[in-house]
Amino acid sequence: MTNATRLVAFTLASEPGNERLALARVAESVAGLGLPAARLERLKTAVAEATMNAIEHGNGNRAEIPVEVEVTQNGDQITVAITDQGGIEAPANNQGNEEPDLLKKLEGAQAPRGWGLFLIRNMVDAMDVTTDGQRHTILLTMRTEGGST
Amino acid sequence: MTSTCEATTRTVPGAAVIELAGEVDGSAATVLTAAYEQAIKASDGTAQTVVLDFAAVDYINSTGIALIVSVLARARAERRKVVASGLSPHYREIFDITRLSDFIELFPDLDRAVSQLAN
Repeated sequence: MTNATRLVAFTLASEPGNERLALARVAESVAGLGLPAARLERLKTAVAEATMNAIEHGNGNRAEIPVEVEVTQNGDQITVAITDQGGIEAPANNQGNEEPDLLKKLEGAQAPRGWGLFLIRNMVDAMDVTTDGQRHTILLTMRTEGGST
Repeated sequence: MTSTCEATTRTVPGAAVIELAGEVDGSAATVLTAAYEQAIKASDGTAQTVVLDFAAVDYINSTGIALIVSVLARARAERRKVVASGLSPHYREIFDITRLSDFIELFPDLDRAVSQLAN
């Protein structure tokens, strides 16, 4: 990533609930960058959901395996990279096969859960997933300007 | 994980009200289920509408959305309507994106939800 400035980098233990720590630290790191309030709320939700996925599906709720979070800025673009050590299958791939359908869920044809990736995709300007086999990274991109809201 | 969700229930004519506070995530399942059952029981089973008030809720995640889906599915099976009040603009947007707002009428606050139900 050329000309990108690292705003913060930290790790979290893979324990349920730690996504709240991630969203708080990410929000703190982008304060003052001009991200409108509504877009900040969207980014916070996306960060929380991606971190939950990394904790639960990537690292299997094993506290000793860290989730890595890095926030960078490149011009008007903020990117949050969230990395787990999930092994062979990327969590973003093995959950995303079926689009959540509320009516199906209400009728019992789909499980009530399964909203995480759907929310992430709808919250940020771009979502990308990279993997090197062991490590999986989800990249969440949000522009400070030029977004729809 | 300890739940930080709290629920207070009461009845108004024709409706059971569940006022939620704290975080609505997967750990809130027991609290929300118990509150639903208590609220319906307090109405002697006559409540046609369940009001979920989110005014004191500061966090809802995808597992919380799943809980709300479960409550809605149960209420529909029992032929009850679900309405919601007090959602922040961000969570109203999430209710729109997930289409929950197609099935749950949204009110700005609890007073307006209750007064609308009384009419």
